[in-house]
Parts: sequence; structure tokens; C-alpha cells
Amino acid sequence: MTGALFAQSLVLGVLLGGLYALLAAGLTLYFGVMRVVMIAHSAFLILAAYLAWYFHETSGLDPLLSLVITVPLFFVVGYGMQRFLVSRLRPISLTTMSVLLTFAIALTIEGLLGFVWTGTQRRVQLGYSGTSIEVAGVSIAVVKLIAFALAAISLGALFVILRKTSFGRALRATTQHPEAARLVGIDTDRVAGLGFGLGLATAAIGGTALALDYTIYPSLHWHWIGPLMAIIVVGGLGSIPGAAIAALLLGVAASLLQVPLGTTWAQTVFYLALFVTLMIRPQGFFGGRLAQRF
Amino acid sequence: MPNASSPTAAPAPTRSGRPTAARVARIAGLLALVAVVLLFPSLAPDPFILSVGVVILSYAVLATSWNLVGGFTGYISLGHAAYSGLGGYATALLILRTGLDPWLALIAGGLIVALIAIPVGIASLRVRGASFVIVSIALVLILQLTFQSWHDFTGGSGGLRVPRPFGTEVLRPEQHERFFYLHAVLLALALLTWWAIERSRLGAGLKAIREDEDKAQALGVPTFAYKLTALVTSAFFTALGGGLYALWFGYLDPIFQFSILVGTYMVLMSLLGGVRSLFGPLLGAVVVGYAVEVFKSQYGDTQLHLVATGVLLGLVVLFMPDGVIPALTSFVNRRRRAASIREVSAEELANQREEAAR
Repeated sequence: MTGALFAQSLVLGVLLGGLYALLAAGLTLYFGVMRVVMIAHSAFLILAAYLAWYFHETSGLDPLLSLVITVPLFFVVGYGMQRFLVSRLRPISLTTMSVLLTFAIALTIEGLLGFVWTGTQRRVQLGYSGTSIEVAGVSIAVVKLIAFALAAISLGALFVILRKTSFGRALRATTQHPEAARLVGIDTDRVAGLGFGLGLATAAIGGTALALDYTIYPSLHWHWIGPLMAIIVVGGLGSIPGAAIAALLLGVAASLLQVPLGTTWAQTVFYLALFVTLMIRPQGFFGGRLAQRF
Repeated sequence: MPNASSPTAAPAPTRSGRPTAARVARIAGLLALVAVVLLFPSLAPDPFILSVGVVILSYAVLATSWNLVGGFTGYISLGHAAYSGLGGYATALLILRTGLDPWLALIAGGLIVALIAIPVGIASLRVRGASFVIVSIALVLILQLTFQSWHDFTGGSGGLRVPRPFGTEVLRPEQHERFFYLHAVLLALALLTWWAIERSRLGAGLKAIREDEDKAQALGVPTFAYKLTALVTSAFFTALGGGLYALWFGYLDPIFQFSILVGTYMVLMSLLGGVRSLFGPLLGAVVVGYAVEVFKSQYGDTQLHLVATGVLLGLVVLFMPDGVIPALTSFVNRRRRAASIREVSAEELANQREEAAR
């Protein structure tokens, strides 16, 4: 592999890793507040991508503007999903049953997408779709750069919300010890609902970023949920910084391996990492005490 | 199929000398079930209905095999299609590459898949709940990926033709009939295994894990070894089911073999019928399998079947997580509506203890 190719792959890996990091942060947020493995996360991601595409098709405006609609919409849907569906499940079997429930939601979304917009592959065509900028011999597509910027800004915002606001403190308390959080007067049910809303909002942002750069089709979400689940396990279930680090590392690894192995085999690096992590360090590599108990 | 029915029916009365009304009803029901299975091929009006019967029996085999791990331990695997698909491919590839006899290839395929299940189990069963599900889904996705792209070995996304075990002189309807009985035998074996485990020490340990893994461990149940045993047994039977189906269907495509949807059907069937009862998955397979076939013939292979499956699974999870049989039983018994998993199974255990003491 030549130096230029290496640099190119590295940059692409970091850009992709940023998107993975944002989405994995959402996924790990659900697990933190509710011990829920949200299989439908990537289905909502694809739904948001479709909404961005449809918005662009009908209005002719930039798909990025669809964020104004999808982010609040997904936030409300996430809140509602937690309050009216997930909270109905029995606490004793919550983890497994929530997987089934969110899995059922994923199937329903995939089916509805296929029903409404058919299985045809869709792609947003923009004036700047083909443009790329060149920095030190590495050419970067503008859309990838926008997607990364979107992911980085959202991750930063998420970090600020979790660290600096009282809601963030309540959410972290709920993640760490729900009972103690209730004892100090935190309405953990409401916090869990809002946490779900935040998680789903990351899917809305990720989906819009995805629509800029990828060809989308209804069953695409299976290609995302596998790597994302691997990332949150490698990073340590429930740990957002862990998820972000693991996302960047694995994104870069997949991108570098793509050159000698091809796209399909490079994808297996996520599953390999998942397997190795569970074999030698099941609680994940970056924090995440939670995994030991769940 | 008398060889399959006799061991299932015979030991039941020997458990206690006094035949109660419930036991008589149970044996009568079992005999009726066996009679229906035996007579179905001669009653089926045309080969198409018979082939639907084969598909439903195949689903029943898969769901019952799934229940060996899902029902006993409470660990939900969404990716059991990995084992059925591997079983199909292992059988086909053994026949094609080594020229092995189809039936030997089927059994060898099952054993190979059971071996593959061991490292998967070691990785996913050491920690509780979430990682098991994650690994199960990841396994299907990775297998679909590799079997699609590994052209030289698996035929890739173009698919793989499986040689038929019976010669060309055996016509289509006759093929269906033979495979119907073969599936019935395999189903009987899977049911028998479930039944045998249920009343063994292993079964008691597994159910203890399902109810409270910490307490089970504290009481000295070798939880990890037991869970692994259940998973490997389940993978073995699932692989046999997949292999037998491959021999019947004659064609393998990674998209359908390693399909998330097939794994979902297994879960849905078992949950709907009830994961705690021997015949629950079978009942679920008949209901869901029939519904799937009718849906396909009515509306074609549209995306709507995904929606229907998703909605049905969601409803079952939300409103009948213990399955239809327990839901109906509790309705009939007019139990309190709030009866939780724990109470029901504690009762079951108490009953078992009583029976054993008699």
C-alpha cells in the first residue's frame, strides 16, 4: 500500500468513524438509561435518510434542511416509544424482551419503507455531490466532510448536554444507579424517556448525513446495526466515550482493510472485534462497568 | 411413524401409576396429533398443500430446536438462522465436495455446526443477556456477508444447487411425501430431546438459570456449562432441520438461508405457542407457518409480510410474552391478570416436586 493510498484510507476511515461514533453514542445512550439494546436504531437511521431524500425530491431544497423536521420528530417519537412501549415490558425480562420489541419495530419500518417507496435504490443528487477538495494529496468528497462535521457537532452537543446541564447530570445519575437517582428526587422515568428521545435524534442526524453520501434501500439498516452493536460492545456497553473511541478505531481499521481485502471482507473486522472482545474482555475495552451485570 | 410416537407416548403413564383425567386427555391429544401427521399426506388434496405441510413441519423442527435454548434458559437468539443455514450449506457442500452419502452428510453437517456453536457460545454466554442477542444477530449478518462473497467455496450470491437424495424416478408428490415423514421423524426426535432434558437434572438447572441466574449459580448449578450444552444441542437440531430442508428444496441462496426473517419466525413461533411448553413451538409453527404461506399466496412476496411479521411480533411481546397457551390457560383458570413469569413457573416447580414426591 502506497503512502498516498494509506493516507486516503485513513482520512476516509476517520470520516466514516465519526458517523459511526454519533450513531453508536445514541445506541449506548438507550442501553445506559434503560438497559435496552435498540435494534431499531439503524432502521430509524434509514427512515431519516429516506425522509431527507423525499424532502429533497419534493421540495428541491437541500436535504440538510430536513433536519429541522426530522430531529424534533424523532425526539418526540423516541420519547413516546420509551414511555408507551418499552416501559410496558416487565422489568424482569426487560433486556431480552426489549430486543424483540425494537427488532419488531425495525422489521415494521423496513417493510413500510419498502411498501411506500419500493425496494428501488435511491440516491440524493446534489450540485456538490461530486465535488471534492484536495488537502496534501488526499482528496475528500465534500459530502463526506459535511457528514463528518454534522456528526462531530452533534457529538459535541451531546457531550455538553450530558456534562454541563442539570438534565445531563440526571441522565448520568439514572445510568449509573437508577435507585439512588430516584432517592435524590430524579424522575427517572421521564429522564429515560428524554434519553430515548436524544438517542433517536442522533439517528435523525445520522440519517440525513447518510442520505448525502450513500445509496439507500430499505434493508440497508442491517448493514449498520451489526457494526454499531459491535462498536458498543467493544467500547463497553453504556459508555459513550468508549463507543466513540471504538467507533473511530474500527472505522479506520475497516477503511484500511478495504484496500487489500475489498469492502465485504473489510466489514468482518467489526464482527471479529466483537468476538475477540467478548472472549478476552467481555465488559469492553473503554470503561463500561454495566456489561458485567447485564 | 410409529417409532417416533411410541417413545413420546409410552413413558407418560409410567410416571405415576394412577392415570388422571388430565393425563388421559394428554395421551389422547398426543395420539390425535400423531394420527393427523401420519394421515396428512393421504388427505392432502394436491401436491401444493403437501409441500406447504413440509414447510410447516420444517418450521416446527426449527422452532422446537430454537426452544431448546430459548425456552429453557430464557436467552433469546434472534440469529438461529445461522445454524439452519450452516446446516444446509454443510450438508450440500459435503455431498458436492466429498461425495458423501446425503444422509450421512446431513448428520455430519449437524455435528460440524454443533462444533461451530461451541466457540460462539463461549463468546456470547459468559456475560448475560444483551451480548448473547448481539452475537446471535451479528452471526447471521457475518455469515450472509461471507457466504455471498466467497464464490469459490459456497457458490456466492448465485446460490448453490443441492443434489437430490432420491433419484429422478421419484416424482414430485412422492418426494414431498417422503420429506414430510422425514421432517416428522426429526420433529419427533427434537420433541423427545426437549422432553428428556425437561425432566433431567440439566433441565432443572437450565430452568433455574432462566428464573434467576445468580441464585442458580449460588446453589452450585454449573451455569456456563449448562447454557453451552443447551446452545450446542439446539444448534445441532437446528442444523439438521436446515440440512433436511436443503435436501428437499434442492437450492440454497445466502439471502434466504442466513435471513434475519427466518430467525424471527423461529422466535415468533416459539413465543406465540409458549416457550415453556413442549408443544408450544409446534403450535406456533402451525399458526405462523400457515399464516406466512397464506399471506405469500394472497399478497405475493411484498414488503407487507415484513410489516405483518413485525406487528405480530410486537403485539406478542407486549401483550402475550408467555405465549398463547399460557395466556389461554391463565384465562381459563381465571388467575389474577398480574401473574408474572415467576409465579407461574414457581407453581410449575411446586407441582413437579409434588408429583416427584408421590
